Amino acid sequence: MTDKAPAIADMTFEAALAELEAIVEKLEAGKVSLEDSIAIYERGEKLKMHCDKQLKAAEARIEKITLKSDGSAGGTEPLDVD
Amino acid sequence: MSTLLLHHDVFTEHEPPQGHPERADRMRAVERILSHPHFEDLRREEAAQGAREHVLLVHPEDYVHAIEQSSPTEGEIALDADTWMNPSTLEAVYRAVGAGTRAVDAVMNLEVNNAFCAVRPPGHHAETARAMGFCLFSSIAIAAQYAREAYGLDRVAVVDFDVHHGNGTQDVFWSEEDLFYGSTHQMPLFPGTGAVSETGEGNIFNAPLSAGDGGDLFREAMLSRIFPALDAFQPELVLISAGFDAHERDPLGSLQLKEEDFAWVTLRLMDLAAKHCDGRIVSMLEGGYDLAGLSSSVGVHVKALMHGTGEAAQPVDEDEY
Repeated sequence: MTDKAPAIADMTFEAALAELEAIVEKLEAGKVSLEDSIAIYERGEKLKMHCDKQLKAAEARIEKITLKSDGSAGGTEPLDVD
Repeated sequence: MSTLLLHHDVFTEHEPPQGHPERADRMRAVERILSHPHFEDLRREEAAQGAREHVLLVHPEDYVHAIEQSSPTEGEIALDADTWMNPSTLEAVYRAVGAGTRAVDAVMNLEVNNAFCAVRPPGHHAETARAMGFCLFSSIAIAAQYAREAYGLDRVAVVDFDVHHGNGTQDVFWSEEDLFYGSTHQMPLFPGTGAVSETGEGNIFNAPLSAGDGGDLFREAMLSRIFPALDAFQPELVLISAGFDAHERDPLGSLQLKEEDFAWVTLRLMDLAAKHCDGRIVSMLEGGYDLAGLSSSVGVHVKALMHGTGEAAQPVDEDEY
């Protein structure tokens, strides 16, 4: 099922989250065949990791801003996020 | 102790299209491990075709008729995206049913202590009137209803450790407070059912696990949720939906069970069966799609059934022959 799906690394947060939500809905509703179920689940896991990584990066940028000693929002340079 | 093995060659003749995970090679892998000298004490019987009237204990006439009419004379036909019939499938599903009912006879009549039915296609996804997930007839639910019908049992339990939830068995048992269904399975995953909140008449006990969970969490789920409920239910017969796709090697699941976990759950179920019903257990093969993981897991499961504690947890070394 992933042959024609977009590469996860290139997806925006919103697109990845939308696909993840669709996957969860399909799995919970039993709309996926047994044979495809695990592949779809694994793509969901990768989408979740992609979303988590982007969220973590965004949180780090916010942290960088709030850590400015003079209290001003003086930049949004991202921290290194692994 | 004595253990009956029910099998038939037709279980290798039911063959979905190439590339399908529920393939005849699964049965060949099981046959190979059970041909090892470790298993020479098994009492072996060919599974006869089950009686249509026994199938009708679970499935409505219209559904059974539709399945019979769907049987192709050549080639394969799809009942849904997963579930296929070829010219041998109808005989295979009837012999899987027959294996279950014969196994019930054997343990109820004290011919053997317990029995393992090496059958395919599996059955636990088949609902009362719907084939799905490789399954056409709910073989284990039919065995349960047959045990009540033929032997007047009041309380029959099914414990299911396949990686997928047995929605079919749950569906059949849903309104039957004297039929117990307890399941560990990965969630979310096919078929989407199996939440803790699905309790039927208080007779359904689901213990979902998460992807990546291993033997420790599997055992905890059994110890905290399934076994206490089964103990309180006081079964007169214990049936096992023995799927081995929770094995760490399996391509259709993400749980991380090892052979010793299957041996452990088998032994603990034997303990509970000994306490409540003179050890009467009938185990039926469900899933398991990695051939090495399947054969070694079936090996320890059947060794446990044959010998109880002791050497049961040791996998058979296929290199020995």
